[in-house]
Amino acid sequence: MKLYLALILLLPLLGGVVNAVIGRKLPRRLSETLACGVVGGAFVCALLAFSAYRAPVKVELCSWLAAFDFKAPISLYLDPLSLVMMLMITFVCGLIHLYSVAYMADDPDYARFFALLNLFVFAMLTLVLAENLPLLYLGWEGVGFCSYALIGFWYREEKNATAGRKAFIVTRVGDTAFGIAIVWMFQLFNTVSITELNGMGFLMPAGVITGLGLLLLVSAMGKSAQMPLMVWLPDAMAGPTPVSALIHAATMVTAGVYLLARMLPLVGGSVAALAVIALTGGVTAFYAATCALAQRDLKRILAYSTISQIGYMMLGVGAGAITAATFHLLIHAFFKALLFLGAGCIITAMHHEQDIFRMGGLRKSIPLTFWPFLAGALCLAGLPLTGGFFSKDAILMAVWLKGGPLYSGLYGLGLFTALLTAIYTFRMVYLVFGGGHSSEPLPTETPLHHQGGGSLRVPRLMEWILLPLALLGLFGGVLNLPAWLGEGWLGRFLVTQAGIKETGALHALELALQGVAAVIALLGVAIAHLRYGGARRRERLAAAETPPTGLTAFCLHGWYFDALYRFLFIRPFEALARILWERFDEGVIDDSLDRFAFVLGRTGQGLGSWTTGRVSAYILSFAAGAALILGYLAWVVL
Amino acid sequence: MIVPLLHVLILAGILFVLGLVCVLVWRSNIIMMLIGIEVMLNAAMLAFVGGANRWGMADGQVFALMIMAMTSAEVSLALALVVYLHRRKRTVNTDEFSEMKG
Amino acid sequence: MEQTLFYILAVVAVIATGFAITEKHAVHAIVYLVTSFFALAAVFYLLGAPLVAVFEVIIYAGAIMVLFLFVIMMLDLGHPEKAGRPGSRDWWPALLLGGITLAAVISLFSNQQPTAPGKLPFVSIHDFGRTLFQNYGIAVEVISMQLLFALVGALYLGRRR
Repeated sequence: MKLYLALILLLPLLGGVVNAVIGRKLPRRLSETLACGVVGGAFVCALLAFSAYRAPVKVELCSWLAAFDFKAPISLYLDPLSLVMMLMITFVCGLIHLYSVAYMADDPDYARFFALLNLFVFAMLTLVLAENLPLLYLGWEGVGFCSYALIGFWYREEKNATAGRKAFIVTRVGDTAFGIAIVWMFQLFNTVSITELNGMGFLMPAGVITGLGLLLLVSAMGKSAQMPLMVWLPDAMAGPTPVSALIHAATMVTAGVYLLARMLPLVGGSVAALAVIALTGGVTAFYAATCALAQRDLKRILAYSTISQIGYMMLGVGAGAITAATFHLLIHAFFKALLFLGAGCIITAMHHEQDIFRMGGLRKSIPLTFWPFLAGALCLAGLPLTGGFFSKDAILMAVWLKGGPLYSGLYGLGLFTALLTAIYTFRMVYLVFGGGHSSEPLPTETPLHHQGGGSLRVPRLMEWILLPLALLGLFGGVLNLPAWLGEGWLGRFLVTQAGIKETGALHALELALQGVAAVIALLGVAIAHLRYGGARRRERLAAAETPPTGLTAFCLHGWYFDALYRFLFIRPFEALARILWERFDEGVIDDSLDRFAFVLGRTGQGLGSWTTGRVSAYILSFAAGAALILGYLAWVVL
Repeated sequence: MIVPLLHVLILAGILFVLGLVCVLVWRSNIIMMLIGIEVMLNAAMLAFVGGANRWGMADGQVFALMIMAMTSAEVSLALALVVYLHRRKRTVNTDEFSEMKG
Repeated sequence: MEQTLFYILAVVAVIATGFAITEKHAVHAIVYLVTSFFALAAVFYLLGAPLVAVFEVIIYAGAIMVLFLFVIMMLDLGHPEKAGRPGSRDWWPALLLGGITLAAVISLFSNQQPTAPGKLPFVSIHDFGRTLFQNYGIAVEVISMQLLFALVGALYLGRRR
């Protein structure tokens, strides 16, 4: 077991370091093979670890930080939660590595790209497997850095570099809260080991636990792009599409949820903290769904959809249902990665056109992309019997069971958000893939128009990768079937970990709630069909030519949060920086030095004028010195 | 002693300071500076003689005589210098002779 | 009676020196100085040093001051309207430093025991001569050499090229 875990971490690290150092000198195929091979090797080790798993195990590899009482060795903790996360990460990352071989085939910077991808996998696995908080923080920071470097991968355009910087700075706010929480926990409990901390929750009063919970929530907000720190994720779509799929769909943005799930035995003792977490999740889900309704850029729709789904996961954590949240995390990883990779295929086919109002008729042109993409959309909308349906419903059921006015309100909000999700998902599908009949005029200025309607090319490798993800998304529901269909395997598996309780419920209630959710999803699809399907599509396209106004503009710009932050924080900060620079740094500090030097120069000149070469001056000085000495003598004597 | 030594010394002090003031006031004129020096030396002689008188020994007077001899030597050389300088620049203003400046 | 005489002579000396200092005409200043030296010589006699008094008159007032006059006349420096007169700017630092020095010196002098005025001790010429040539014989030789140096120096400086 120790060997498997060590290899799981070391293989991606090795791949990343080799690619970073000598990747440019290796032939392209070798570098790519190395990068994909190490992640594949990590997946194999993860499978081996899964088969050898019996009970939660703590593996200490070596010592890292040790000073007085503070000990943070490199020790890994394998329990059901981290095991399933590890399997998901290595599998999805492996697929994405293969995909990006084809996607980045024209890019000369392949060595940097694969090095960063490998390092990202290493950091994410460290985060998931960490047994103590400093090691988790190491992984946390690692994924943050790799995310920054990958978002701004094409840094020669300023927009991309700015997006990377924005992501880094906003997540930094969360990281600061996390750092404070770690130090506070050490000061309270004298340990930073997660397993020990989770057992000590009862020692402190509820106020302290609430404080810790809120700090961890803020750090999760930053990493997982929840309100109010969600402004970086839509802009992060400036990076290559595999990066968006990897980091901003499947792995990094789930790190916040993972952290909260990990520390739930500690912070779950505070009802207030859980309520705030749930509230954050619910409100964020609603916010992101409204924004996704108005977006024009394909990847931005998916970005807002990610924010919304992670809001659901937070809602699940806030309701205390770790099983449901983890289930949704896994399924979301599959179908969101699928959607992003499909979007990558679409964008490649459309020669990097990303506006959905300029696409159309792709169902006929690239069918092999269409069907998996449709599967992913079905999962996202939560249509009955897909994996997405079961996972989203599990969360909503847990919220319903929690009871109380707050949770009931959040249940309603979650249901309404599910409706919005279905609407915007199928808006996207209809606009991108619909149309294309010979009687319909093609939208102007598309490659279809230029090519005269010939079929568009998507590299085969990219399309084939979509298939396994589609299958997993559609049939992933078997992982945790609700009680009336059979026992949930995931639930049973996770229950073996301390602190996770299985929420049982009456079969009838479950069926009723699932029925409601199914009706909502189908209703959403119907509304989207009414508005965007068939003939109405042309009207929508025409209407989209005019600039957006009113509510549409409000949602398009993300409820103007960017403008709000610019007004509240950035402009005062820039003003303060300018004042400090011009008035203090140049005015006071530089000026005072200049003036001091000037005064010294003048003093020297003044003193220098003593040497006049004239006897009269010297005689006077002599007499003055003599008078001084005599006066001093008299003073001393008397 | 006819007067306390203190009074003699006070007189010597006053004369010395007057000579010093002369040197300092007339520091632009060589001749007047030399005169001030003469006054100062005289005051010193007075102090020596007063001391000799106080202790009844002749040593003080001997030294006063030495001072006088030294003064004459010094004055002759000083005035020879004044003549020399006057030949160079036709003035006895000390401020004119500032080649040692800097 | 000698006491009063001493004080009168002291006052005369100081006043004469004061006039000598503030006089703008060099020749007048020297004459005032001669007056001061005469008074001082009388003080020397009162303090029991007749030989020094005589030498003061002969050498100091007689030779040295006359030498000054010679040089002044030779260089034709006797025209006060052409020379620069020191203004108040030159007076105040001099007076200040002089005042400080005087105050310091007098306070230093005041520290000793006052002696009772008594009889007038008189050092005879015989004693003076013996002290001079017996105890300080080498000094006499050195002085004579010093005078020789001064003579040679003055000759050298004064020669015409």
